[in-house]
Amino acid sequence: MGRRYGLRGPWVLSGIDLDVAAGTLVRIEGTNGTGKSTLLRLIAGIDQPTVGRVAGRPRTAYVPERFPAALPFTAADYLARMGQVHGHGRTRAVRGAGEWLERFGAAGHAHTPLAELSKGTSQKVAVVQALLADPQLLVLDEAWSGLDQRARAELDRAVAGRVAEGGTVVFVDHDPLRLAGAPDTVYRLRAGGLDRARPGQVAESGESAPPGLRVLIEAEGPPGADPPGGLPGAPTVQRAPDGAIRLTVPAAYSDALLRALLTAARPPWHIRTVTQAGALPTPREPRSQGVDDRP
Amino acid sequence: MTAVLPLLRYQTALLIRSHRWLPPLLLYGIFLVVGVQSGQPILDSLGYTAAGLLPVAAWLVRVCVVGDPPAARQIAAAATSPARVHLACVLTALLCSVALGTLATGIVAGISSPYSADHRVAVPIGEATAGGLLAAVTCALLGTAVGALCNWPLLRRPGWAMLATTLAALLTLVQRSSPAQAAVGDLVSGSHSGTVPMPIWPCLVAALACAAATAAACALSSRRS
Repeated sequence: MGRRYGLRGPWVLSGIDLDVAAGTLVRIEGTNGTGKSTLLRLIAGIDQPTVGRVAGRPRTAYVPERFPAALPFTAADYLARMGQVHGHGRTRAVRGAGEWLERFGAAGHAHTPLAELSKGTSQKVAVVQALLADPQLLVLDEAWSGLDQRARAELDRAVAGRVAEGGTVVFVDHDPLRLAGAPDTVYRLRAGGLDRARPGQVAESGESAPPGLRVLIEAEGPPGADPPGGLPGAPTVQRAPDGAIRLTVPAAYSDALLRALLTAARPPWHIRTVTQAGALPTPREPRSQGVDDRP
Repeated sequence: MTAVLPLLRYQTALLIRSHRWLPPLLLYGIFLVVGVQSGQPILDSLGYTAAGLLPVAAWLVRVCVVGDPPAARQIAAAATSPARVHLACVLTALLCSVALGTLATGIVAGISSPYSADHRVAVPIGEATAGGLLAAVTCALLGTAVGALCNWPLLRRPGWAMLATTLAALLTLVQRSSPAQAAVGDLVSGSHSGTVPMPIWPCLVAALACAAATAAACALSSRRS
C-alpha cells in the first residue's frame, strides 16, 4: 500500500506490504520523516491508504504521541466515555479506568479536568484509554514519551501482558532499547518500502545493542516435565542440575510469565526464585534479591 | 447504530460543555427578537423562525466538527472508524438544531396571533405549529447539509470554510429551487390566504440532501487526516 497527501503531494509511504500476526509484538523503526506515524495511523484505521488497502483490522486502540486534549471532561469522565466508545458497558469502563489510573500512579488526578493536567499525566490518560479497552490490536506511537520512569515500566508490562493474552501490539519508540529483546518482529521503514529486521536486533547503524533488562525465573514442575509451550516472552530455557527449569525473559514479560506458570499451566508450576538477570542474554547465578514464592 | 450511540453521547457532552454553541445561539436569539413580536400573524413569524435556523444549523456543524481536538478524534477513530466519528459530529449538530428549532417554533407559536396576515381569517394554532415545525426541520436539515459540505474534511482551511458556509447558507435560503425556500415561501403565502401549508415534500427532499452530504463527508473523513 502507499499513502500521499493531496492529489499531487509526495508519497509519504510506498511499497508497504505488512502482515501482522495475532499475538505478536511488532516494532517499527525508521529515521525521522520516513512515515512511521503515518504507517501507524494506517494500521490503526485512522487513515486510509491512497493505493492498496488494510484488511482484517480487529478491535483497535491507539495512543498518539501527544495528547494535549483541551477537553471539557475530567480524566475519569473522559475515560468512562471512551471505554463506552470502545464498546464496554459503563460500569466496566469506570472500573477499568480507576484500576489503570492507579497502576500508572495517576489515580489522584482522576477528577482533575483534562485541560489542567500536566503533559505526563495527559499521556497517562491516553495510555489508560487504550489499555482499558482490552484491544485486540494496540497501536502505540511513541506512547512512552512524556511518561515518568515508573509509568514507562508499567506500560512495558502492560504491553507484554496484552501480547501474552493473545493481543497484537505495534509500536514506534525513539528509544532503541524500548522492550529490547521482546519484539517478535522488527520492521525498518525506508524510502519506498519496509525491511524486516532480525527480531531482537537493534538496527541502529548495524551495531547490535545490548539487550534490555532480563529476569531469571527458576521454576519447578512435575518431575521430568518440560515447561509448557507458548510461554509469554519466548523465554530461553535452561535445565538446572536438580531438575528445576531456569527461564530468562525480558523484564517486561516477567509478570506475564509468572502468571502463566502459576495459573495457566496444568498442573501449576512452583516458583523457586525470581531474579534480575541483568543485561546479559544468558542467566547469571541467582543473586541475593531472589524472592521465594512459597516458604 | 449502537456503535455510534456512545460517540453521540460523547459529542453531545463535548458540545454542551465547550460553550461554543453560545455564539450561534445568541445570533439566532437576536434574529428572533428583532424579527418576531407578539401578536404578529403566526404563519409569517413561523416562516421567519424557520429561515433563521438554516445558517445556525450550518454553524453548529462547524462547531461540532472542529470541537474535537485531533488527538482525541484519532483515538475515537481507531476505536470505531473515522466515518462513524464524523457521523456522530454531524448528527449531534443536527439534533441540536432540531431541538433549537422545535423550542423556537413552540415559543413563537405561543406568542403569535392565530390569524392570517390581514387579521381576517383565523388560523388553527395546532396545524400552524405543525407546519412551522416541518419548515424548521427542513431548514435544520439543509443547514446541516451545507455545514457538512463546507467544513472539514471537504474544506480544510478555516477561512474558506467559514466563507463558503455563509455563502452557501444564504444561497440555500434564497434559491428558488431550494426546499428551504419552498417550505418558508409556503408559510408566508399561506399567511396571506389563511390556509396552513404542510411542507412534507420539501422536508423529505431536505432529508435526502442532508443524508447525501453527510455520507460524502463521512466517506472522505478517513482520507483527510
